[in-house]
Amino acid sequence: MKSIPKLIRRFVLLLLLSIFLFLVLNIGFLILFTMDQSPNGRPWSTAQEMAEAVEQTGDGYGLPREMQEKLDQEHIWAVYVDNTTLQAVWHSDGLPAEVPLSYTASEIASLTRGYISDYPTFTGAGDDGLMILGYPKESFWKHMYPSWDYQTIAGAPRIFLIVLGANIILVLLIYIGANSRLLKSVRPIVNGIQQLPKGELVALKERGILSELAFNLNKTSEMLQSQRYQLKKKDAARANWIAGVSHDIRTPLSMVMGYAGQLEESPDIREEDRKKASAIVRQSRRMKNLINDLNLASKLEYNMQPLVREEINAVALVRQAAVDFINLDAEGRYPIEWETDEKLSVCMILADKSLLTRAAANLIQNSINHNEDGCTIYIAVSVRTENGKPYCVISVEDDGVGASEEQIRKLNDAPHYMVCDTNTTEQRHGLGLLIVRQIAESHGGRAKIRESAHGGFAAEMALPCSGYETEATKMPGSENG
Amino acid sequence: MGSEYIKKKRLLLVDDEPELLDMVVSILKEDGYEAVRTARTVKEAVKAAEEFQPELAVLDVMLPDGDGFGLMEQLRAKGDYPVLFLTARGEEEDKFRGFGLGADDYIVKPFLPGELLFRVAAILRRSYKEEDPLVELAGCEIDFSRAEVVKGGEHIPLTAKEYELLSALYRNAGRIVTIDTLCEAAWGDNPYGYENSLMAHIRRIREKIEDNPSRPVSLVTVKGLGYKLITERK
Repeated sequence: MKSIPKLIRRFVLLLLLSIFLFLVLNIGFLILFTMDQSPNGRPWSTAQEMAEAVEQTGDGYGLPREMQEKLDQEHIWAVYVDNTTLQAVWHSDGLPAEVPLSYTASEIASLTRGYISDYPTFTGAGDDGLMILGYPKESFWKHMYPSWDYQTIAGAPRIFLIVLGANIILVLLIYIGANSRLLKSVRPIVNGIQQLPKGELVALKERGILSELAFNLNKTSEMLQSQRYQLKKKDAARANWIAGVSHDIRTPLSMVMGYAGQLEESPDIREEDRKKASAIVRQSRRMKNLINDLNLASKLEYNMQPLVREEINAVALVRQAAVDFINLDAEGRYPIEWETDEKLSVCMILADKSLLTRAAANLIQNSINHNEDGCTIYIAVSVRTENGKPYCVISVEDDGVGASEEQIRKLNDAPHYMVCDTNTTEQRHGLGLLIVRQIAESHGGRAKIRESAHGGFAAEMALPCSGYETEATKMPGSENG
Repeated sequence: MGSEYIKKKRLLLVDDEPELLDMVVSILKEDGYEAVRTARTVKEAVKAAEEFQPELAVLDVMLPDGDGFGLMEQLRAKGDYPVLFLTARGEEEDKFRGFGLGADDYIVKPFLPGELLFRVAAILRRSYKEEDPLVELAGCEIDFSRAEVVKGGEHIPLTAKEYELLSALYRNAGRIVTIDTLCEAAWGDNPYGYENSLMAHIRRIREKIEDNPSRPVSLVTVKGLGYKLITERK
């Protein structure tokens, strides 16, 4: 929900910017427009010019010719009033009849501020008289009583800013008020959309301006929920089916294994029959492993295996797994070399003990499965730092037949038949390593297969050390295997 | 292993598969167990338990008229003896985890005869002390009841830690016991950093039990992994 304040901030900024732009544009326009008009002070200065240009001749007063022409061009009439007699001593040609030729002081004051018979009048002081110019009617509008309170004029800039500020705030309030309603109806929709990928059920109230959107969102969520449920049901059914089949195989296989084991141990049978019994034991043990693996792999794949994590010492756990194999390997066909650094006696990880035991056992079993004629197995636990985080690395190697580079690449990259969605005719590997990978990934680690320096196969599992777990199920680089 | 007395214990087997019962009986009989009785239902088992007074019960989890856990409670109400479960479902590992239900051990089917025999013997030895607890080694005998080693007529006492370590090794005689398990047996729940102490104790035990402590034959080292106690059959 961080996006909504961001959205508001952006809108408000945009609004302020547009207000500012409007102001600048308006002022610009005003300036442009008034520049084109006759400037406000011009009639006054013209009047002054005329007053100064009045010259006394033999038979009275007069204006130079070019001045007279200028007045005629603009249809301005002019009267020059003597200061002492208040009588017109000179006037232009074509003076309107309604313009008086003698004035009183109050008439002078009135015409200075305003008009004579609707002609806007302007005055200029000459040497001994007053020049009155009369512009055509409706050419100027005059403010007749121009006076303001001094404080108002002195405080004008401040008042202007306050008014501007108040305007902006008002505009913002109106904007936010209008938008908050929209945002209020957008917010649940945004929340809903954010809930969707989390797999939560979205149930929005379908009203307000965005009710249609809410309705569609609810419908999408319902659809997703039902799809998820169906998928889960399918996965559960598949896992249950596998669990059921493996359960039903266990009891008959017990019998095969039990009797074959007895025969193998019996002192009364011929050596060649004992070998046959041994083979049955060996193969039924493989079947047992396969059943166990199939069951666990399907549960891990369909997320039906709960992780019960606790602090465990990986060194002790792997050592026990190794010892369990040695104790079972009566013939000593698979000697185990413990290659863990003696100084590393403890490496704590937060993990599911039974799953991790299973993963370690699978790593060892993998070497056994691929070397029917026996091999030496090298087991080591070590701590390795990757991207600044310590990882506990469990590695199991052997000096057996090994695998080609191509096979190793396939093991690392190609999906297992169990999780592969395309038909596959290729010979695929057993489930043991798939489980190791699933377990490693469910603990935030990874599993990798490579060639061993001992000549055979090497598989390793890296798990984050206790206190360095991440939620991610893959660590960087796991894509490359 | 010098523990023939356990072969005289009365065992009750309960499983709904008659053929599996036959097989388990034959495995146990072949190993020398004398008193083995079977039952196929909860009802039969309760009745058999009353008449037979078993000293160990081996129960299947799924029975036609109930489950093994319920049966265990019924049996335990009448007599206190160990219970070993045979289960065909891997998931039940969760239920057994920590043996919260009071079961002594469990085996997931399918199993090899050796595995079954080892578990049965281990439970019996843990639950019933030997009347004659002398364990014979290559160069001496260990008397667990007196916590001493008898070597050439000489009685050498064992310290508490040595006793714990030897008991743990003896319970798994012939098998490797990891360094970690031994440390846990001697030093409890937080057994980290005792590897050197363990080595010192092992050395002292060897001085007591071996003819030539620098060339041990009864208490052997498996490099990096643990130790193994090798007993002599009587």
